[in-house]
Amino acid sequence: MEGWAGKILDIDLTSGQIDSYPLDMEMARLYLGGRGLGARLLWDLVGPEVEPLSPENVLIFATGPVTGSGFQTSNRFSVSTKSPLTGTILDANSGGWWGMQFKRAGYDVMIVRGKAEKPTMIEIINGEVSIQDAAHIWGKTVFETTDMLGQSNNKRNVMCIGPAGENLSLIAAIMNDGTRALARGGPGAVMGSKNLKAVVVEGKERNTAQDKDLYKFMLYETGKLIKQSPLTSKALPEFGTAAVLNVVNEIGALPTRNFQQSQFEGAELISGEYMTKNILVKKQACWACPIACTRITKTSKAEGEGPEYESLWAMGAQCGIDDIEAIAEANYLCNDMGLDTISVGSTIGCAMELAERGLIDTDLRFGRADLLYETVRSIAYREDLGAEMADGSYRMAEKYGVPELSMSSKKLEMPAYDARGMQGQGLLFATSNRGACHMRGNMLGPEVLALPRQIDRFGTQGKAGIVSIHQNSAAVVDSLVVCKFTNMAVAEEYFARWLKSLTGIPFVADDLMWVGERVYNLERLYNLREGFTMADDTLPPRLLNEPVVDGPSKGYTVNLAPMLEEYYQFRNWDESGVPHPAKLKELQLDTLLAEA
Amino acid sequence: MPVVKLFGNLRDYAETSKVDVSGGTVREVLDGLCTQSPALCEVILEGGELNSHLQVMLNGRGVDFIQGLDSTVTANDQIAIFPPIAGG
Repeated sequence: MEGWAGKILDIDLTSGQIDSYPLDMEMARLYLGGRGLGARLLWDLVGPEVEPLSPENVLIFATGPVTGSGFQTSNRFSVSTKSPLTGTILDANSGGWWGMQFKRAGYDVMIVRGKAEKPTMIEIINGEVSIQDAAHIWGKTVFETTDMLGQSNNKRNVMCIGPAGENLSLIAAIMNDGTRALARGGPGAVMGSKNLKAVVVEGKERNTAQDKDLYKFMLYETGKLIKQSPLTSKALPEFGTAAVLNVVNEIGALPTRNFQQSQFEGAELISGEYMTKNILVKKQACWACPIACTRITKTSKAEGEGPEYESLWAMGAQCGIDDIEAIAEANYLCNDMGLDTISVGSTIGCAMELAERGLIDTDLRFGRADLLYETVRSIAYREDLGAEMADGSYRMAEKYGVPELSMSSKKLEMPAYDARGMQGQGLLFATSNRGACHMRGNMLGPEVLALPRQIDRFGTQGKAGIVSIHQNSAAVVDSLVVCKFTNMAVAEEYFARWLKSLTGIPFVADDLMWVGERVYNLERLYNLREGFTMADDTLPPRLLNEPVVDGPSKGYTVNLAPMLEEYYQFRNWDESGVPHPAKLKELQLDTLLAEA
Repeated sequence: MPVVKLFGNLRDYAETSKVDVSGGTVREVLDGLCTQSPALCEVILEGGELNSHLQVMLNGRGVDFIQGLDSTVTANDQIAIFPPIAGG
């Protein structure tokens, strides 16, 4: 294979039918793979009449033309579906080894449809596909399942759900290689609704380059830049993603106690620096990754992977907890149960506020590190208060008459940035197609880290253009599919040359940015077709109306309206946030227009 | 006295995470820091100017948005210095 394997695997769990057919190469050129191809296929397969947990929803697992090529971080893959948490289009992507191995098994994409009658697993061995009984692993945790199915990095790779997915928690993740996660938006619940427990892959094919000299040159040049960048050669390897926790706290943008404050007095105790000094065992890398941001940590009770920045925040500052060992152990459990740590922590923090307001009868309070582990377990198994938290903060808060206390947008819990201290980040969260998400184009770079240069985090004018370009760029990276940390050392022109070396197609950076804009607008059309409107491009009332009470961001709220107006104009959408026909024609999406 | 907070691997050079340093401007404080910690000085200054890869904040605000290194510092102020970092 040179870039694409050229094949789609299509499995119907209701009938047991297994098909494979050629990948439409024109579609592949327009959408690349991963998130882009997933969105395009989902447009055709899942319409507004489909309930997310019904057999008619699909799971589309997609690699990209770069996956498995050996280019730096070319290990990633994505899943696309209709989210049971938000109702929007959803894609989530993950690293590790599974994506690479699936490509080696000979496919670009796997579509899973229908619903099996009983617990089921799929095995793909060198292109041969079988659907098998999974009674022996149903009910097992992620780690148990991964071990029982013979996980061996580089040879045999397991993707599975844990108890959370089996119990249809709307914040359930799909896990791969034990500890990597397709986390946000509840894809684990969709997999559980199909009675699909696991997919195991082995393969021998190789993603080789058509132009081997260009491939070797780009491999060398990219490696050189990654080594030269202090971000990818020092900060991330040394401190992991948690390197930024102290700076986000310092500027007064670390959401604390369900976004009631924006600085956490215990930040140092859950920081990257503290983790490195006290619980870090070693760093680890995904396949073909020279950056190695993964943390292997050890507490007095357990050892495991993580926690990442978002997890440290979600089960730390968001819950008023500064006990890094308790957070790490809860993080290991989230992995084993198959849960999205951001939604878990944010929902627990929301429950804590409800409890402190006297709305819920529970001992759960801000700072109760001793209850964290058991609370996570109760979410996975839908026990006691965990049953109410299992479907995310919005549904829980709504039940108690206070949906405004869910710190979410489009019902997806916001990640670890208080947008009152980062106005562009607020626009990003409000307009993200899968709900509040920092991975759709993190404004952390320009607003906080001076990457590529510092802009005023409190300013609103001009943010629309930067957010839009970041969103388009993130869509490119998610469609290739590579790790966004590579993008900190090399730009889109490098990715274009990677593609050219693999496929022979003379991609340039502009081609890729067109792909990104196309994918972003297609996702927008999908959500419009689902009934979302500009009213959904918003943030919780706390961020819009309650000024930060102290710290460097004191007095600020998110001034969303003017940014949103500018954003629609920049994107060439009308005042209601609907893409103009001319923009859709420009992006070759005009044939979909009549259906939106 | 103003406090200088150090983050990331800057702590290794200074062998501490916090230093009390007197000074009426950010520049004076950095000069004082250099005197106290020559090893750190080699990292934070390049040719007498602030290393362009570093971020300096005064009470949580980037000094570029105040008056740069000439920003006035008072006794209760906190200056934070970050090396190049990424994550999120």
